[in-house]
Amino acid sequence: MQQDLLDISAASELISAGKQLLIAGEENLLAQLPQGRWIGGSIPYFITPGLGGTQSQDKVFVTDISEIVDKCRIHTYTATTIGSIYTDAGSNGFSIIIIPAASKVHATFSVNAPNYKDFGSQPLVGWISGVHLDELAIKKPIVVNGETGEMLTDQAIVMHVDLVAGKTVDVGIVNLFEQGNGEILTFEKDGFESTDVNVNGIKENFYEYLTKNNIDTKLPLVADYYGTMINISFQSLNRNEPVKLYAPVFSGIRYKIARPIENYPEEFSKQLVMSGLQEQQILFSCNCILNYLYSDLKGNKTEQFVGPVTFGEIAYQLLNQTLVYLQLNDA
Amino acid sequence: MNVPDKTNPKWAEIVTGKKNYPLKFLAAKIMLSRIMRTTGANPTPENISASVNELYSLYSANINVPSAQTDIQTIFG
Repeated sequence: MQQDLLDISAASELISAGKQLLIAGEENLLAQLPQGRWIGGSIPYFITPGLGGTQSQDKVFVTDISEIVDKCRIHTYTATTIGSIYTDAGSNGFSIIIIPAASKVHATFSVNAPNYKDFGSQPLVGWISGVHLDELAIKKPIVVNGETGEMLTDQAIVMHVDLVAGKTVDVGIVNLFEQGNGEILTFEKDGFESTDVNVNGIKENFYEYLTKNNIDTKLPLVADYYGTMINISFQSLNRNEPVKLYAPVFSGIRYKIARPIENYPEEFSKQLVMSGLQEQQILFSCNCILNYLYSDLKGNKTEQFVGPVTFGEIAYQLLNQTLVYLQLNDA
Repeated sequence: MNVPDKTNPKWAEIVTGKKNYPLKFLAAKIMLSRIMRTTGANPTPENISASVNELYSLYSANINVPSAQTDIQTIFG
């Protein structure tokens, strides 16, 4: 399986050869690719096998999954239809989803995915597409239906895959953040923003709480989901406004501010060794733009975990500041 | 590998939080964090039964997934 940064000509050859591909890159590059069995999303940042973290505005990152695909179906979903994603999935494979950042379908999926009918019916991974950070105010993230050539700003694109016989996949995450020793934070409503927070059960203004305690908002909120740490990253803090987040908080979940990480690449390598992951075959992975920025991944490698850098990661539901991967196994 | 029947009492013990296991299957952990809040807030037989059905269906649909198989072994031996 190929996972690498390719120029348009090489990517086009793979498409024309009938390969099933996941492609990430700048919108103007994705627009030049021929129609075929691929889905894509905009982003110019990548973790590559050769360079580690890098950005490119003349190449696209291609993940070729053809070897393990028996059949695949490409679907688009709106904010109204995304609720059937798990019901539409097959029974012997996995699904890959790409959602444009800041779209209605992004918001809907993020808040509701754990409650969707048939949640988890088969593995679901993917990413939130983005744009160059200098172009946040002028460009919209897009996804591409490679079969039709459509470039979409308000729909999710999904490839539902049936695996070839003898293979299985599993979804995993690598999240270096753990809950720190601070207060327990809870919220009264689900959502991407909150004016108030309950601090050890006592209601406070969220902005005031963060500023008076000098909280480093490069560190996410972390919740314990039955032993797995799930992050919610801070987007912006402005006096007299709700605190904005990159993923929704949920009422009833107990959050804490994360413990700081000293050296992401070093800690990442240690965690791979501890979990035995360094020997595993990784079909697909993606990592968060905030890890790329805050943990200085530019020029640094994360072992065999290569792929797009994202505005949000999906492992059954939306995650933040987390590496998501799909692991390939023999049945 | 077969998924043990829904009548096995271990299913209800998990969804009510009476027993905790070191699970590996990420979808189950996400689901459990939600359904345990429901059964914790309102532990009626109907809610517990609905939660068992959800969790059982999830493992049944994913019985070929390695982490789900590991969990079934961890829970039921």
